[in-house]
Amino acid sequence: MSKTIMIVDDSASLRQVVALALKGAGYDVIEAADGKDALSKLTGQKVHLIISDVNMPNMDGITFVKELKQNPSYKFTPVIMLTTESQEGKKAEGQAAGARAWVVKPFKPEQMLAAVSKLILP
Amino acid sequence: MNLDQALITFIAESRELLEDMEAALLRMEGQGEGDPETVNAVFRAAHTIKGSAGLFGLDAVVAFTHVFENVLDALRDGRLAFGGELAALFLECGDHLQGLILRVEAGELDAPPPPVEAELLKRLRAFLADEGSKKAETAPPKTQLPREKEASVRPLGGNGVQTDHWHISLRFSPDVLRHGMDPLSFIRYLGTLGQVLHVQTLSDALPALTEMDAESCYLGFEIAFASEASKAEIEGVFEFVRDSADIHILPPNSQIEEYIRLIHELPEDDLKLGEILVRCGTLTDSELTRALADQRAGEEAGAARPLGEILVESQSVQAPVVDAALDKQQQIKTQKQQETRFIRVDADRLGQLINLIGELVITNASAQLQAQRAGLSDLIEATSSMARLVEEVRDSALSLRMVQIGATFSKFQRVVRDVSRELGKDIELIITGGDTELDKTVVERIGDPLTHLVRNSMDHGIESAEVRRARGKPATGRVILNAYHDSGSIVIEISDDGGGLNRERILKKALERGLIEPGHNLSDREIYQLIFEPGFSTVDQVTNLSGRGVGMDVVRRNINELRGSIELDSEEGKGTTIRIRLPLTLAIIDGFLVGVGASSYVVPLDMVKECVELRGEDMAKSTKGYLNLRGEVLPLVRLRELFDTRETAGGPRRENVVVVGYGDMKAGLVVDALHGEYQTVIKPLGPLFSGARGIGGSTILGTGDVALILDVPLLVRVASSHEPALTA
Repeated sequence: MSKTIMIVDDSASLRQVVALALKGAGYDVIEAADGKDALSKLTGQKVHLIISDVNMPNMDGITFVKELKQNPSYKFTPVIMLTTESQEGKKAEGQAAGARAWVVKPFKPEQMLAAVSKLILP
Repeated sequence: MNLDQALITFIAESRELLEDMEAALLRMEGQGEGDPETVNAVFRAAHTIKGSAGLFGLDAVVAFTHVFENVLDALRDGRLAFGGELAALFLECGDHLQGLILRVEAGELDAPPPPVEAELLKRLRAFLADEGSKKAETAPPKTQLPREKEASVRPLGGNGVQTDHWHISLRFSPDVLRHGMDPLSFIRYLGTLGQVLHVQTLSDALPALTEMDAESCYLGFEIAFASEASKAEIEGVFEFVRDSADIHILPPNSQIEEYIRLIHELPEDDLKLGEILVRCGTLTDSELTRALADQRAGEEAGAARPLGEILVESQSVQAPVVDAALDKQQQIKTQKQQETRFIRVDADRLGQLINLIGELVITNASAQLQAQRAGLSDLIEATSSMARLVEEVRDSALSLRMVQIGATFSKFQRVVRDVSRELGKDIELIITGGDTELDKTVVERIGDPLTHLVRNSMDHGIESAEVRRARGKPATGRVILNAYHDSGSIVIEISDDGGGLNRERILKKALERGLIEPGHNLSDREIYQLIFEPGFSTVDQVTNLSGRGVGMDVVRRNINELRGSIELDSEEGKGTTIRIRLPLTLAIIDGFLVGVGASSYVVPLDMVKECVELRGEDMAKSTKGYLNLRGEVLPLVRLRELFDTRETAGGPRRENVVVVGYGDMKAGLVVDALHGEYQTVIKPLGPLFSGARGIGGSTILGTGDVALILDVPLLVRVASSHEPALTA
């Protein structure tokens, strides 16, 4: 059974390209437009990894991760946060929330794949 | 779903974002200020476009948005104040982005950016500069992900050798699982970079079952890993657990040598120790950051320690690699210091200066003479102190032309490497005395003869590895270049530890070629000197490199043109040493003025050993051509006879002998009067005198008379070998 990755970003095109790359590598992908959308889609099913942007409308990435870690089902789910280098301050906030993996935007699909496979292989 | 469809989504999405952004900007402009929510919306639009554009590889969009985003970020953080100017600029940026998106849609992204882009970027950067942030300058967005540009360090002897592998030591912190990190997944991913040979699981930290927290990680791992990946690549695997694990990556043994080699090959930039180690690949950026933090912590605690020590202790870098890097740093530092002390001057201008100083020397000599004739003591004093100054000026001007021979020597490293490959011999070059200085003109012209001699030594001198082993010598041959000062000359030595010259073969060849008559009794040195005769070659097999029989005589001619000489020592089976003796300078020398009859001659002062008055019994002996100098036989050269000089009325009152030495040979020059030291500007002789031997040049005296400069090396040789070959 292939592993499931959730991608949370407000850019539909970014989600599409990342999803395309991940599916190509053999992962299943769930998309969510922001933190709120993501939480509503996480209903107890097994998700192996979550990729989340920091800066999103409705619910930003930091709040999302904080909420996520409260949920026993997703407590141990690794999270890759998407950030820009101008947001070094956000990194500390994210770490406090429980995120350890970071990928700097803009990235290439293959870079995202490499980061993902460090945490889970398909 | 494919990438083209995603691109269509991107275009639609970007349009939408840009429209929202425009609306927000107009709102802000109307209010005259930006509330945080609106500013954030504008920032997010730019940020989102940049992120997605990066995924599609739309670098033009990314590059522009990056700068735009930085300015927006500054505004959002309150580092910039919002104003009408900014609003106008942002709107224009939005328009430009829209244009870029249109180009993406039309598939014209490769077209050069419109001129407005450069202008907009300039205006944006101006805001960043005002705000004092350096962030805009870190232009191309960095990624923490695959370090594509990292110079990969590959082990010399291939990989997969069991005894030569990376050793990775991992100690995870207890809460690593709580961060969603699975230690196993990293080890699994490591397998994609190479071969995980062995994993040793360390469970020492495992507490008793009752105390164990199921959510904590208590395990450590020792991993043997065979891979051609660089250290940075391997460390990249553990990127996400760097903060929640203790990671040590030890390179294979062969890799250490490779690091040292890379350090030696680094360009000569001004680098810090850490930078050198990172460049050669032995240290990764994050290890460096950690070590620097340790160092700072140490400083604050009042126990400052050198970085190298910290790195070795934390096992980030091996001690020999740190030593190599420190050496390199020292070397660069020394070179830097030298560089800053140099200015570049056109060689012609320098030549002109030296010519002028030459004229000054002559004119000064003439002024001094006039003063003496006039007998005005004040004037004599003034001219003599001027003479002293002129002498100092002359010396410093000449020293301007002096360069170290080291640079010329260093070029031979490459020659030796290439030639030894060509010949299939293993030969190393050792350079000593590289800091010996000599005239630039000489350095320029010594290169070709040196090349020939070095090649000759390698080709004919050094034996093949088998022969060397049979003779009990190390298989690696050795060529040594050395330079040093010796009584007013520069000596350059080329020695090898090869087979040496074969005396008999040279004799045979010389007889064959008619260079010598049978029955002549020649000393070893004279025999060796024969190889410098035109048309001489002892090696029967003519190789590509040397041995065409045109070499050595050309070398000798080149050296002679520099007023130098060449000699050769050799011991069969042990090696050969060739010594080139060159004058220190070619332009102005300290001379010793002597008179013979009505003529004046100059002997280079460096070569004058002593002066002896010729009288009594010595006078009688001197007619036989030699003199007893404190028990030593001193061959004499009678300049009067040699140059057939015009006599002054009444003949010489008495005679003197100037003892001159060149190399380890000595001779006495019989002259009439000793006039003493004299600064001599060497003027070359015209072509008319090209046949005249024994004379090296001419100079103009203060009186306006011409004095000839003696070619002492030649005179000494003639005197000691009874060579009757001199005809003036």
